[in-house]
Amino acid sequence: MFNVDRRLKFPSALILCLHYPACLLVMAALSEEVLLVVKRVRQRKQDGTLYLMTERIAWGPEGKDRFTVSHLYADIRCQKISPDGKSKIQLQLVLHTGESTTFHFANESTALKDRDAAKDLLQQLLPKFKKKANKQLEEKNKMLQEDPVLFQLYKDLVVSQVISAEEFWASRLKLSSVEHSLSNNSKQEVGISAAFLADIRPQTDGCNGLKYNLTSDIIESIFKTYPAVKQKYAENVPHNLTEKEFWTRFFQSHYFHRDRINTGQQDIFSECAKQDEKGLKSMVVQGVKNPMVDLLSLEDKTLDEGYGSLTVGPNSSKTVKENSNSAIIKRFNHHSAMVLAAGLRKVDAPSDQASETSSTDGNSRDSDFFQPPIKKVKLQEAIEYEDLQNGSGPKTIALNLKKSDRYSHGPVPLQSHHYSTSQDIINSVSCIQEEISCYKPCLTRVMPSSAASSAITALSPGGLLMQAGTQQAVSQLVPTDVQSELKHLYTAAGELLRHFWSCFPVNTPFLEEKVVKMRSNLERFQSTKLRPFQEKIQREYLSTNLTSHLDEMIQAAYNKFHAWQTRRMARKT
Amino acid sequence: MKLNIEGLLVYFPYDYIYPEQYSYMLELKRTLDAKGHGVLEMPSGTGKTISLLSLIVAYQKAYPLEVTKLIYCSRTVPEIEKVVEELRKLMEFYTKETGEKNNFLALALSSRKNLCIHPEILHANIVVYSYHYLLDPKIADLVSKELAKKSVVVFDEAHNIDNVCIDSMSVNITRRTLDRCQTNVDTLQNTIQRIKETDAAKLREEYRRLVEGLKEANVARETDIYLSNPVLPDEVLQEAIPGSIRTAEHFVGFLKRFLEYLKARLRIHHVVQESSPQFLKDIYEKVCIDRKPLRFCAERLRSLLRTLEIADIADFSPITLISHFATLVSTYSKGFTIIIEPFEDKTPTIANPVLHFSCMDPSIAIKPVFERFQSVVITSGTLSPLDIYPRILDFRPVTMASFTMTLARTCLCPLIVGRGNDQVAMSSKFETREDFAVIRNYGNLLLEMSAIVPDGIVAFFTSYVYMENIVASWYEQGILENIQRNKLIFIETPDAAETSMALEKYQEACENGRGAILLSVARGKVSEGIDFVHHFGRAVIMFGVPYVYTQSRILKARLEYLRDQFQIRENDFLTFDAMRHAAQCVGRAIRGKTDYGLMIFADKRYARADKRGKLPRWIQEHISDGSLNLTIDETVQLSKHFLRQMAQPFRREDQLGLSLLTLEQLQSEEMLEKISQIAQQA
Repeated sequence: MFNVDRRLKFPSALILCLHYPACLLVMAALSEEVLLVVKRVRQRKQDGTLYLMTERIAWGPEGKDRFTVSHLYADIRCQKISPDGKSKIQLQLVLHTGESTTFHFANESTALKDRDAAKDLLQQLLPKFKKKANKQLEEKNKMLQEDPVLFQLYKDLVVSQVISAEEFWASRLKLSSVEHSLSNNSKQEVGISAAFLADIRPQTDGCNGLKYNLTSDIIESIFKTYPAVKQKYAENVPHNLTEKEFWTRFFQSHYFHRDRINTGQQDIFSECAKQDEKGLKSMVVQGVKNPMVDLLSLEDKTLDEGYGSLTVGPNSSKTVKENSNSAIIKRFNHHSAMVLAAGLRKVDAPSDQASETSSTDGNSRDSDFFQPPIKKVKLQEAIEYEDLQNGSGPKTIALNLKKSDRYSHGPVPLQSHHYSTSQDIINSVSCIQEEISCYKPCLTRVMPSSAASSAITALSPGGLLMQAGTQQAVSQLVPTDVQSELKHLYTAAGELLRHFWSCFPVNTPFLEEKVVKMRSNLERFQSTKLRPFQEKIQREYLSTNLTSHLDEMIQAAYNKFHAWQTRRMARKT
Repeated sequence: MKLNIEGLLVYFPYDYIYPEQYSYMLELKRTLDAKGHGVLEMPSGTGKTISLLSLIVAYQKAYPLEVTKLIYCSRTVPEIEKVVEELRKLMEFYTKETGEKNNFLALALSSRKNLCIHPEILHANIVVYSYHYLLDPKIADLVSKELAKKSVVVFDEAHNIDNVCIDSMSVNITRRTLDRCQTNVDTLQNTIQRIKETDAAKLREEYRRLVEGLKEANVARETDIYLSNPVLPDEVLQEAIPGSIRTAEHFVGFLKRFLEYLKARLRIHHVVQESSPQFLKDIYEKVCIDRKPLRFCAERLRSLLRTLEIADIADFSPITLISHFATLVSTYSKGFTIIIEPFEDKTPTIANPVLHFSCMDPSIAIKPVFERFQSVVITSGTLSPLDIYPRILDFRPVTMASFTMTLARTCLCPLIVGRGNDQVAMSSKFETREDFAVIRNYGNLLLEMSAIVPDGIVAFFTSYVYMENIVASWYEQGILENIQRNKLIFIETPDAAETSMALEKYQEACENGRGAILLSVARGKVSEGIDFVHHFGRAVIMFGVPYVYTQSRILKARLEYLRDQFQIRENDFLTFDAMRHAAQCVGRAIRGKTDYGLMIFADKRYARADKRGKLPRWIQEHISDGSLNLTIDETVQLSKHFLRQMAQPFRREDQLGLSLLTLEQLQSEEMLEKISQIAQQA
């Protein structure tokens, strides 16, 4: 007896920390299609009318033409109703923010009917919007889950309310959507894990049955790898079989158990196996494109039948065990080939065709003058000794620099007078090289080796002369918890500063507003996060210059802000 | 660059040279100067072929009267094609440097269909073809008979040359063969009958020729025009074909009698093993067939088929096989054994009688080659121990040397894994190979390696059956599924087409970054013919010591012969044979100095001196005491370290002066001194 348990995993742990902006937009002015109007609905002990529209639900008090309550469906997490038999017939909407709104249906004769009508309609509408909201939510969730640094940042900045969730996500989601569109263009798809079947390892359920865990990911992998199964699924589910029955049969079939020999014909998957067999055969018949791996033409077969010392028994019969073993091997090869093909199915079309057309006329093999190009290429590759030849290094993309000086030296303050071009540097290097090459040590004035080595010891870290400026690594001086806290501070400050600097040049009112806000965010960060930390390390013994760089960075931002502000003031006056 | 090899100007078509290439050319030149034979071992990937070609072509140009031809034999078609490609490169370089139009004729035969170009062989300066064209008497007679004595013969990839020799001289006869012979004989009879009615003169002419005897052939051999043929022994040439088989009808009658005798011999229920003289005695007693006509059988049949103008010789391959058997069994009283087995050992209930006529002495087939040509060079990446080849092939070389690979960084990492993490010894020896713990530890080793080695891993098993069993038990234990989390798995099958496809998919998976594992078999086609350069093979794992199946009667007979004739102990030979195959397998991964790879020997027996000592020097010298009898964990640690080092950039500058030389560097005294130490004379 098989028992299929379909478990869909959803990330659940993180939903709590997502702060959803409550969108309380009043947009009564716009005409909307009203799907349902329920009169005599009380809210906060006030009579009024409930409107269900295409995108939102709204309530307005009697006698007024504006809504005091309005929720977009996307903001609603769920609806709750009062139990049957209760005197008050109510409907409660729970928002993602945790707030809730309760409507009391007060029309005595039709209250229950009214409520159910509203409930049913909501039931239809909410899932549609939920998907949209969920998608975003899931994406955010995923980003947080996949990136522990981001998660820490989120905790440092949003949970501790240095910046709002909106601000935090504003730039993030844009980034991710950019990435998304990029990846869409280059169509890089994630391949299939070769071990997806391993994840369904059966567990005994304790009562003489086996339990397989099947997730939607695995199902997708099965479909992608074995299109024949997908076809079977489309043919049979749900008209002939339920989904559960389908998968139960799948797991019962020899198809799933690679060591079973195909026996039963009633099995719906025996056809799949046959198709696979056919596919495998056609692949084998097609042969390989790369002549260097073609084992069939490897040997210049000259031994005729009957010669040779090897006993070749073509009719040697195999035992059942051996048959099942070779079935396993065949299926592993097939499985790997299918997984590989599933990953390449979309990508390889153009390049593949080119090589295929060039290698199909294989019968010109013997002529040296008309070798199929692919073979020629492979042969050349095989005899190539890259290190014996000049100028055949790996092909790289040349770096195209507009200002190579800037690339070599990095941004250098312009007031510095020691600005040297790369030519100067090359000259001086060659100068030094020349000097070194004709350097002749004056052997009479050489220091004895013992003195030299003692000098080196004295000058090495920890040596006599190095006591003053001991350069011990931070990792040795600072306890790990402080280190990690410092690390978090750095990432958080970096994030804030990134927001700050991204406002420049400030050329729109929006950016102006943002830059001001970012400055205050920075200040808040300094006071709520950085200061306590600094106090802590002071208390604890450590030198304050641990955070001096952080301070410098923030100070630089303040300076910039200040410069910008004075300039703006000057312009205004 | 242009090199001066002891006074010989050699054009070398590269800007740089490996020190060992220079050393190799030195040894090769000494061999040619001495007009003797040589055994040279140099690792693959050090440019052996181009060194050989450059030197011999230069020699031919400098001393056109001393060396007239180069006969280059290699094993597989791709290898032959590679040689041709390198030769083309060399010729282009000559043209570029000297400005002269190239007047060298080189010829490559890569299929028997091309046999019609036979006259051209005589004029070519270089002939490239497969071993069989020289070693298989049936083909050599057609293709190579008239090659000049002053030729240099090179057997590249010659580590299995003894087996090629033996194969070309061994014959297996089954019931099916005999049935098809029967058909052949009937066809012959009918054809003779028909010709007798229409063109009796033709048969009379043949008869006359046969009375004249094979004098012509004899004259030719004495005047040194022909390569002698082991199937056509000297004695045969001096005598006329005996009267009893001179007429066509008599000969067919003779063949019939012989066939009936063989059929009777196959009707047995127990294994029979006998020597050639015993067989001859029996055949004389039972059906009164003499030794003499038997000896002429092959030649007589050839003459008949020619006379009857049979278009498709291939149809007569069974009767040709039988005639070869007859000649060989009556010619050689030593070096062969006859074993008749009524059934296969695995299936004692199914009658499938086979008569094995097995050659046990590889020197018989290669003897004419050594005797005829002035220099024969046997070379390969793995020829250790060097001295065994002259012994089993029965020749006296003037040079024997093994060259190491000079390396700027140690790009190969041989490790011997002897234990699992549970300390259970790992070994494929017969008593423990089916042991659950051994199989599980082998699986764990592969699993762990699959997690740390990038791209491709190739694993070799000692035999196909063993691999099947292990794969099945890994499947049951879920090990394969865990490996699949890291890499795709491809497995060699007995079907060559299927395996080719698996190989191509394997390479595809290595190419696109997924990474893959290829499970394969030592002594199989993959282990002998496919290279796993760079990312196609970052690690090779040899599961067990690939001993040949020792229960076979043919092998036992051969071992006995080796012991009696060459004083080679059974165990020495078996170990030598196992180690050369192991070396072949692990050597697949290193195909050059810029390449790198792990060589994992997963059997504790490799740690023993008698095994280790038989590995090629270029592998042996990298096995330290710290890499013997490791556990899986230790292996993983060492491998990680090695792979991390190898992943660092490796540039020409790192090699220059150490393992790669410019002309100036080559010419320095100091370097020449160093180079003289690369070759280790055996």
